[in-house]
Amino acid sequence: MILDVKKLETGYGKLQVLRGIDLSVGKESVGLFGPNGAGKTTLINAIMGIVKPWKGSIEFEGAQIGNLPTHMVARAGIALVPQERELFPGLSVADNLELGAAYVPRGKDIIPKQLEIVLTLFPILKERYKQFVGTMSGGQQRMVAIGRALMANPSLLILDEPSLGLQPSIVAEVFDRLSILKKEIAILVTEQNVRESLKAIDRGYVIENGAVVLEDTAEGLAKNPHVVSAYLGI
Amino acid sequence: MANKRNATLVVVLIIVAVAAILVWRPTVLINGIQAAGLYASIAIPMGLILGIVHIVNLAHGEFMMVAAYVTYMLCIATGIDPFLAMLPVALVTAVFGFVVYKLTIKQALKSPELNQLILTFGIGISLTQVANLIFTSQTRKISFDYVSASVDIGDLSFGVFKFVYIVIAVLMVVGLRLFLTRTTTGKAALAVGQNPRGAAIVGIDVDKTYGFVFALASALLGMMGAVFITTSSIFPAVGSPFTMKSFCLIAMAGIGNIPGILGASILLGVSENFLKAFRATRGWADIVFFVLIITVILGRSIKGKKA
Repeated sequence: MILDVKKLETGYGKLQVLRGIDLSVGKESVGLFGPNGAGKTTLINAIMGIVKPWKGSIEFEGAQIGNLPTHMVARAGIALVPQERELFPGLSVADNLELGAAYVPRGKDIIPKQLEIVLTLFPILKERYKQFVGTMSGGQQRMVAIGRALMANPSLLILDEPSLGLQPSIVAEVFDRLSILKKEIAILVTEQNVRESLKAIDRGYVIENGAVVLEDTAEGLAKNPHVVSAYLGI
Repeated sequence: MANKRNATLVVVLIIVAVAAILVWRPTVLINGIQAAGLYASIAIPMGLILGIVHIVNLAHGEFMMVAAYVTYMLCIATGIDPFLAMLPVALVTAVFGFVVYKLTIKQALKSPELNQLILTFGIGISLTQVANLIFTSQTRKISFDYVSASVDIGDLSFGVFKFVYIVIAVLMVVGLRLFLTRTTTGKAALAVGQNPRGAAIVGIDVDKTYGFVFALASALLGMMGAVFITTSSIFPAVGSPFTMKSFCLIAMAGIGNIPGILGASILLGVSENFLKAFRATRGWADIVFFVLIITVILGRSIKGKKA
């Protein structure tokens, strides 16, 4: 297993959000579904060291990462594409991408190679290479954010709502790119757009009220009556 | 288009004004630029800290006072020139800034801004009082011959030494720009300033970056403090007016705009000396500083409301 989360409980202040989550990601792409407030982003924040676990463990490539600060988690090989993108608006596309790799041991020596991969995946970034990221559209910024994460040559890529605020044609494009990626790296993705993402993932979890209520393959989830009625709206 | 025309108009007006002053009262421009260099080179390190760590360091002028006293003692003890003392003093103040950051400011980074202001204000007062205890309030001065170097052009005679400040200010602007845009550490520092969360996500150690920026700014300020004792007497409260002026210059330039600090300093330095050139308005020189700042900030707010 690349990522192994066991009986994880955490929250903010006194408010408990996660109530014992078990989840694992191998060399595959895994979807994370659930209503707003179910704890998807909190789980990601816990993995990234942004919120500290109260109980349970988070293991990444055989090492405990539950108590590492965020920058050490990133250096260990987990790259995150946050919901709010969290880019550097006053820096160029080139600088944003470079900083994606510059501080990660497994990425910093192969910047030119990673850059080629990212620019082949998102040719638009090549055209906008010198442009300030703050002046770009939401969809393009999303691509910069995914590109920046890939620059680190991560073994696990986490995407939090990659299609949020994007027009449908770009959503399809983003998922198209993700299915290319999933052959190379492990992916954990949360998504409101369950229908699109089921095409791109191997396995999925449904989280409600801070606990896993369902775990199945993509085909299994697509047929599951609960998923169909609650998330696919048929 | 209208904006471009306005900008051109402003530039033309400034050129005409500068030319008029140059012909009519050349000393206004000379003294103004010399004063501007002093203001800018003290304000730039503060701007660096505000732009990246997002802390208003109200002990900024007192940091420079500390550097000035360290230089003074070093020069008295060893007899070396303040310009030679710049590097060792920079080292001392870098460590000093770093320690102050680690012990106090780091603990308050997540506190409300008002608490941070009170904290740095308190650090400033403590530093002044400690200096008072050690050195007493007596003013101290070392004289150097080269400070009185002057140049005669026609009827006009003026001191040239104080141009060293504008040279330092320009070097700081250029050096910081190269560092922040060409080196990975510099880009990472900018990234931390623009989005600390995003920086941590890509593996940048935000706390280490803050500490580094604090040390770097303190080192620059230390060099400035070393040169400062060549032209000014020092006493424990010598730094405090510069805190206020630096903060105003940064507010005028806009946070994160380091070349803008130099521009704002020149505008203020020249305006101040313009008023000082006439007997009737001499006493108003300090007020022009704040009138200009209020005008600029009000103007920006009104423009912001329209947009």
